[in-house]
Amino acid sequence: MDGDELVRDYLGRLEAASWPLPPDRRAELASEVREHIEAALAEAGRRDPVTIHNVLERLGRPEEIVATEADAEPLATRFTDELGRRMPASVRSWGAIEIAAILLLTVGAFALPLVGPAMGMVLLWLSKVWTTREKLVATLIVLIIFVLPIIGLLAVEGRAGTGS
Amino acid sequence: MDFDVVRLLIPLAGIPAAIFLIVVLVRRRR
Repeated sequence: MDGDELVRDYLGRLEAASWPLPPDRRAELASEVREHIEAALAEAGRRDPVTIHNVLERLGRPEEIVATEADAEPLATRFTDELGRRMPASVRSWGAIEIAAILLLTVGAFALPLVGPAMGMVLLWLSKVWTTREKLVATLIVLIIFVLPIIGLLAVEGRAGTGS
Repeated sequence: MDFDVVRLLIPLAGIPAAIFLIVVLVRRRR
């Protein structure tokens, strides 16, 4: 990895780690860090991989920089949704819909087989706390565990059908 | 696969999803 690649990799990690920050602050932080790297390299008078590596090491891990920034952000503006809009902290915490969704997916599965988890899925998609990606992952988990036993059941029935 | 096993697995499908959703919320609040 040459020097420029090291810088690109570092800025890429910073970008990836900075998702909890508001979009404008994220861009500002990336720009500040890039300027800081350029200034340090100009001061060093060299751009070889070892110098760049040392500069990046002095800066610290991107995740640590973002954590420091996130702590400085007011809680209400810390999180953004998948469209980059700021969300108040209250929207990101537990509410009646979230608790009901979790209960229906777990206890509801025993009290109301099939109907309980189905209602839980509806509440999951109505909730504004989880992002669309998180909702998709949860839905996929449910579907995969639903589908696998059904395929197994069909296979058993198919075998019984051909066996008799 | 035994039919009783399938009947047991179907209600359990929501539990891993619920665990995932709880973990997401707990990690976000830290």
